[in-house]
Amino acid sequence: DGAEAASPAAEEKAGEEEEDDLGYRLFPDRNKKPQSFLVRSLFTFHNRCQLMLRMTLDTNPYAQLLLEAMKQSGCTVFNDRHFSCENCDGCVSGGFDSATSQIVLCQNNIRQQSHMNRVVTHELIHAFDHCRAHVDWFKNVKHLACSEIRAANLSGDCTLMNEIARFKFGLKGHHQTCVRDRAIRSILAVRKVSKETAEKAVDEVFDACFNDLEPFGRIPHSKTDAKRAYRDFQNRDRYNANL
Amino acid sequence: QPPRSCEDYWWEWKHCRGLRHAFHHYYTHGELPACGRWREDYEACRAWERGRAAAAQVPPGPAVWKLRKSPPPDWYLPLD
Repeated sequence: DGAEAASPAAEEKAGEEEEDDLGYRLFPDRNKKPQSFLVRSLFTFHNRCQLMLRMTLDTNPYAQLLLEAMKQSGCTVFNDRHFSCENCDGCVSGGFDSATSQIVLCQNNIRQQSHMNRVVTHELIHAFDHCRAHVDWFKNVKHLACSEIRAANLSGDCTLMNEIARFKFGLKGHHQTCVRDRAIRSILAVRKVSKETAEKAVDEVFDACFNDLEPFGRIPHSKTDAKRAYRDFQNRDRYNANL
Repeated sequence: QPPRSCEDYWWEWKHCRGLRHAFHHYYTHGELPACGRWREDYEACRAWERGRAAAAQVPPGPAVWKLRKSPPPDWYLPLD
């Protein structure tokens, strides 16, 4: 399993150093001319990524709820515009680029459908936050921390099974420990800040952001929970329309 | 949270008392769930249906970020 990182906005390409500061080094294919269609269609990683992405968007209730919520907020997600399958460095699985309003999926690091489901959900949560709030991705560490806490909390990143697979064993309240740790790691992956700064930011916003469960309304521990949340979300809309 | 159909609260109470949920709650919060609230919500919902009393809206706490009034302007802009 790789670490998910949110790649924030860069207003202009202000040179190597600033790009490094903002996490773009992890996504070397960003800002490059896209390869020709023929070349791209020969690469099986790219095809596999596209297929798995399609599967997630069509069948996964976490993703479907987020897509619906984003549509309601005025940010309809289009597969070919808002998603991009690329090769990435290191063990990053994906990112959200607010400069281009795109979710980047690391085709070389996502090998299983379940992983794709989780990465797409995680990045869609960042996109959802970007859509509904003025999130200052690259100047305000607390904003970044808040979105990372929410993404780790709600995407299924911190299920017991996933943690055990990472050899992180814990039970009582371990979900919160996991959310906190993963949020800190994600911040450190894309920002040149000290561990103390990242920890302080996460701790300051933890209570507010851990309890911000939009658009799910609950912490979905399984696809069943997510389906239930999706149904409740649709009913919520109907209720408000009737008022 | 807007009120839901009363049957939803009953479902939540039953779900809350299940073993699977108890496990997830312990894993998430470090303690076992308190399900009485859902039962109370169900009773309140029934009373509301009968009396149409105004549902108490719980105001959200101080937010980390400011909510937008309209979506980001560059969301649909084509890629260069």
